Amino acid sequence: MSARDFSNLKFGLDTFGDVTVDDQGNRESDAKVIRNVIEQIKLADQLGIYSINVGEHHRDDFAVSAPDTVLAGAATVTNQIMLGTGVTVLSSDDPVRVYERFATLQALSNGRAEITAGRGSFTESFPLFGFSLGDYNALFEEKLELLVQLLGDQPVTWSGKTRAPLENQEVWPKTEQDISLRVGVGGSPESVVRAARLGIPMALAIIGGDPARFAPFSKLYRDALAQFERPELEVSIHSPGHIAETDEQAIEDQWPHYQTMYGRLGRERGWGPMSKDHYLAEVSAGSMYVGSPETVARKIVHAVTSVGAGRFDLKYATGTMPHSKLMRSIELYATKVVPRVRELLAESDAEVWG
Amino acid sequence: MPTCPEFALDTFGDSQFDSSGMRQSDAQTIRDVVAQARLADELGLAAFSIGEHHRDDFAISAPDTVLAGIASVTDRIRLGTAVTILSTDDPVRVFERFSTLQALSDDRAEITVGRGSYTESFDLFGFKWDDSFRLFDERVELFAQLLEQRPVTWLGETRSPLHNQEVWPKLDSPLRFRAAVGGAPESAIRAARLGASLSLSVISGDPLRFVDYVQSYRDSLVDFGRDLLPTSVHGPGFIAKTDEQAIEEFWPLYDASYGKISRERGRPATDKQHFIDEVRSGALYVGSVETVARKIARTIHGLGVNRFDFKYSAGPMTQLQAMNNIELYATQVAPRVRELLAEARIEAGRLEGALAAVSA
Repeated sequence: MSARDFSNLKFGLDTFGDVTVDDQGNRESDAKVIRNVIEQIKLADQLGIYSINVGEHHRDDFAVSAPDTVLAGAATVTNQIMLGTGVTVLSSDDPVRVYERFATLQALSNGRAEITAGRGSFTESFPLFGFSLGDYNALFEEKLELLVQLLGDQPVTWSGKTRAPLENQEVWPKTEQDISLRVGVGGSPESVVRAARLGIPMALAIIGGDPARFAPFSKLYRDALAQFERPELEVSIHSPGHIAETDEQAIEDQWPHYQTMYGRLGRERGWGPMSKDHYLAEVSAGSMYVGSPETVARKIVHAVTSVGAGRFDLKYATGTMPHSKLMRSIELYATKVVPRVRELLAESDAEVWG
Repeated sequence: MPTCPEFALDTFGDSQFDSSGMRQSDAQTIRDVVAQARLADELGLAAFSIGEHHRDDFAISAPDTVLAGIASVTDRIRLGTAVTILSTDDPVRVFERFSTLQALSDDRAEITVGRGSYTESFDLFGFKWDDSFRLFDERVELFAQLLEQRPVTWLGETRSPLHNQEVWPKLDSPLRFRAAVGGAPESAIRAARLGASLSLSVISGDPLRFVDYVQSYRDSLVDFGRDLLPTSVHGPGFIAKTDEQAIEEFWPLYDASYGKISRERGRPATDKQHFIDEVRSGALYVGSVETVARKIARTIHGLGVNRFDFKYSAGPMTQLQAMNNIELYATQVAPRVRELLAEARIEAGRLEGALAAVSA
């Protein structure tokens, strides 16, 4: 993998719009959290971060259920940052509505819209919108293919089992530039091959363990692209983290919020409780990008070089962690981590080729 | 009669044309609408509402997405829809998007729901136009329940059931809720029952024929034990230096928009004479500042409504035409209407005084 060119590595940020507490520990209103997300995006834009991706959840610990509406609010007060989702739960949405909203976002942002479509790892949207979890795969498969058609050449003729058929249908608004599309992949080889078959860049969510474990996925993706005679496409990594001045500070900032968040998810999903030792092991050798800028930069270099990624998206929000800490983390990511990663990659490049 | 009426704007986001007569991209029209809303905000207008259409002569199919973009670059103006076609949308998704808009705009969001008067969204989203009443009836009830922000249990035929369901994000303050009506008596009663403000659309004929209708809405509010809620009228118009200029400039725009729709729906084609009759004595607010102001004052006074929603865009307009129309409405028509209404109040006061003297 070391022979890959990382000089154009892109750096993004991800958030799910977690409901945070304020600096005194009081829960913020959902509305305030949404306005804080706008402030976070504006800061990322000013500091030259490539993209922001906002997740979609339909439950009380997240303030964002309509990520593209939030992005539309960010579009008119930012200049260069790509505005995307992480992810749009396509299985329980209608590809036609998704097209309409993102084409509108594309207009508002002068071509900075990006959809990352996923099946969703949370289940709330299925009963909420009247879908059965048993149809999880069929829903995504069909809807992704329809979305690809809508983003390509219209009019579209389509029929399937998961929405009403379309015959010679056009959808407005028309876009001036193509809308970027990625597929969010969690770790199923079928998803990887599907992304390759449809010719869509892949966003790998790696939320535990050594990222090098995912090298076979990116190899599978590249092999599949070659087999489908498609050009090479970007692989990006989505992983959680938090940056502070020192490793100790970052851990102290994050652990209580991580413990609360992970504890709830663990109870819901039947995981064991998260011990601090396990957390620290993830921080030192797994997929938690937590620490000083130097520590986090070295971890990112390891991840992108071992997976062969063209883009790294740091999920900077962690449960209830306050807005002020998130802003500081974004600032350190953009001003310290990003240049340091570039430096380290250039050095390793020089070692390989020198 | 309301003492301090509000002046608002409506647009459907009609595809705009550039000064050389070329159709702009949809994307440019959307960005132009954002500029129109910013101007309306700077000029102190009360509200800006955007329609939803799914066809090639309109650039806006996702009005709340456009409003979210506007929210971040405006300060005071309320941001609404004209209308959100609730029959073909999911009330849960609609709540989620408007609650998000409410957050982004610091509580300036306003939803106006309607059954829909165009058929395209029904085919597009897999519904039948013939079901539009049933769809709207059910969905508006569910939407009103969601606005109360308590867990919702709901069972109907037009969407999957909800059991003790909460929806996020939560609102910090109640969402302004309006029901668009065209004149059906049961619509006014339902709006009152659900606590929705009345938004009456009158696009042809004398608006004052709805005076009893607006009163029936107010009576219904009393019947349902509700507080008095605002009422408004939506009317299309165009303002220029003189009446003649306004008529000549607006006629081709009107013919390409309202005329086209009439022809599609198999109604008799609107000829220019019919258009001029509408301008003289119907529902079109077309003319000089003085003419348009007198018509709006007559409508507000005659119906006793609290707000006028001036639909300033129609057909293949240029951005310059749209911006001029907004500027004249805000800076000249609105103050003149206030003046005329104040005069009318004085007149009414004199009349009352005279009547009192006669009966004494």
